[in-house]
Amino acid sequence: MTYVKNRLRRTMMFVPGNNPAMIKDAGIYGADSIMLDLEDSVSLTEKDAARMLVYEAIKTVDFGGAEIVVRVNGQDTPFYDEDVKAMVKAGVDVIRLPKTESATMIQKLVKDIEHWEDEFGIEKGSIGVMAAIESAKGVLHAPEIAEATPLMMGLAVSGEDYTADMHTHRYPDGRELEFARNMVLQAARAADVYAFDTVFSNMKDTEGFYRETNYIHELGYDGKSLVNPRQIAMVNKVFNPTKEEIENAQAVQNAIREAKAKGSGVISMNGKMVDKPVVEKANRVLETAKASNLIDEEGNYIGE
Amino acid sequence: MEIKTTGVAGTLESSDIQIMISKGSNGIEIDLDSEVKKAYGDQIEKVITDTLKKYGLDNVKVKATDKGALDCVIKARTLAAAQRATETSDKPELEVL
Amino acid sequence: MDKVVDLYLSQPTTRKKWKEFLEKLGLHDFSDREIDVIDHTLGLIDEDGKLVGTGSIAGNVLKYIGVCNEDATSGARFNKIVTALQQYLFNEGKFHSFVFTKEKYSSSFQHLSFSELAHTEQAAFLESGNPNVDDYLNSLPQIPNQDNKKIAAIVMNANPFTLGHRHLVEMASQENDLIYVFVVATDLSLFKTKERMMLVQEGLSDLKNVKVVSGGDYMVSSATFPAYFLQSPKDLIDTQTEIDARVFKNIIAPKLNITRRYLGKEPISITTHYYNVSLAHELGPDIEVIITPRYQVEGQLVTATQVRKDIKEGNLTEIAKFVPKTTYDYINDNLLKLQDRIKKGMKIDGN
Repeated sequence: MTYVKNRLRRTMMFVPGNNPAMIKDAGIYGADSIMLDLEDSVSLTEKDAARMLVYEAIKTVDFGGAEIVVRVNGQDTPFYDEDVKAMVKAGVDVIRLPKTESATMIQKLVKDIEHWEDEFGIEKGSIGVMAAIESAKGVLHAPEIAEATPLMMGLAVSGEDYTADMHTHRYPDGRELEFARNMVLQAARAADVYAFDTVFSNMKDTEGFYRETNYIHELGYDGKSLVNPRQIAMVNKVFNPTKEEIENAQAVQNAIREAKAKGSGVISMNGKMVDKPVVEKANRVLETAKASNLIDEEGNYIGE
Repeated sequence: MEIKTTGVAGTLESSDIQIMISKGSNGIEIDLDSEVKKAYGDQIEKVITDTLKKYGLDNVKVKATDKGALDCVIKARTLAAAQRATETSDKPELEVL
Repeated sequence: MDKVVDLYLSQPTTRKKWKEFLEKLGLHDFSDREIDVIDHTLGLIDEDGKLVGTGSIAGNVLKYIGVCNEDATSGARFNKIVTALQQYLFNEGKFHSFVFTKEKYSSSFQHLSFSELAHTEQAAFLESGNPNVDDYLNSLPQIPNQDNKKIAAIVMNANPFTLGHRHLVEMASQENDLIYVFVVATDLSLFKTKERMMLVQEGLSDLKNVKVVSGGDYMVSSATFPAYFLQSPKDLIDTQTEIDARVFKNIIAPKLNITRRYLGKEPISITTHYYNVSLAHELGPDIEVIITPRYQVEGQLVTATQVRKDIKEGNLTEIAKFVPKTTYDYINDNLLKLQDRIKKGMKIDGN
């Protein structure tokens, strides 16, 4: 597996790194990304065992084409170095750094990854990085963090730790996260990297989950972190493009095709220029539509 | 490789295997407890034995309680237990896996 | 997903929640005797933060395990809490653990690789990890051709070793080829396990056919036997005696070819007398139980209880009458230390 900068990342499912049953089944739910966790969900005494388990799993378990992200332990822990070494050797797609507060921390991670890539004869740039923003400092430094390296895949807001740092806690209306969500999203967009929203852990509150997911979708987030596979379908539903959006995106692609056939350098549709953001948006819409089985191979709409 | 203490890794939860390793004097002796022992016992014991040998342990008593673990889990748990038993967990030897 | 958390029973709200949870599962004995020995308690909470399982550790014994199987795969929570308790013990460097539980739960523990040492109608006693009972038995000394010899056993706490103990062993020594003296290993007495063991060894060193060994974890004493899961606390002595006798009779005796067990007749305590009678009943007919009268000096019964009282009062001349020289010298050299233990609250009227 190799890191791909641009791909569909609506759902990032957290899987505890010391739980073989959950790791074994992680690939069957259709999450876009799977985040195997060596940090919070693994107790201090099991760090060594979880690292070996995740290492073996990455090398042998079929995750159904999902992107594999590993959350390593923080740079202030004695586990960080061995975590990074093992994950590079295992050939993970992306390493997620918890408690990121500066560009320097990300640059250190990239340097450490490169060191082990050298050591194991792995091509440089095969592994992406992402930053978890979990503190006031991290939020304020989000722009420099997002631009810290060309290997940056994205930023994720981590609500639990952030709200604790802000002397508050999670509320159903999410107002306590307003600033962080906007700041992280701005930073991500400005640096052309992905933005992920925090987890919603009350599984019983389906309505609340939809409310929050609709809200972050509306803000412009690329995806949401999840703790339960049941939430995958719910997120996908929110992120599904409408029939009109799909038809419009198909029109954009046809415009491009026609322009190419004509050998024309300028692409236009409905009298307007089709520029890069429009093309990219159309690609995203169609990719999502395909992943959610909203169109068939010929492009016919088959959603409800 | 010298065994300094008893080393255990893994849990008794579904899809896992608990491996307990202690000093032995008679080669690699495995006491395996598994619901699928009849069908897969030999395979499980082989994975454990291969992992231990590759790590460099030849005289070991192993108590293994299998709850339906895949080979990759058996390997990971065996190495984790072996490194705990040799008190070398801070230097994981991933080459063994 | 359920999460394992630490529970601190010293926090009143936590304790209340824990107790209510176990009461719903049918446990009712929360006496100090059961709770005070708990070293640590774990809880299992579900996604809503509700307590759905718990278990505790007392020394190397798992206690108060309970799970609610509502909305969960059968057995998953039980496995999770037992694993977590064992992991707690492993991190403490304890790789050998025990559980006393209702008989009907024995198979659940066996499913998690515990092996049953004994069971009665009500209770079961199981162990897990190593060194296990086989390792223990293999560590005991044997003599050549033991299978064809007449072997007897005596179990004693020896707190401390008296002339009464000595007399009992001497008698057995004359009537058998080999005597195992099992010294109870539980460290709850005025004389520490090491001291008791040493005094027994020294006091019997001249008897060549006597082997003094530690009772390990396999002499089940009423002092440590948990009763919280029994229907009523009065079942404690019966159940403990049955379990203790069955481990001895079915596991220890056959391996060492022990066919006799010697007990001192209990003239004072009705409980101990009752224990002796039911022990004899349980052990027979495979094991012949020989109950011998208590040894007397100058018309006085020799008991360790009396010796401990004399230690408290510093009555060395009295002590000298009841114990062998080896024990006397030790008491004489350590009188202040022993009295200090009593002052600090060590009970001396038990056993």
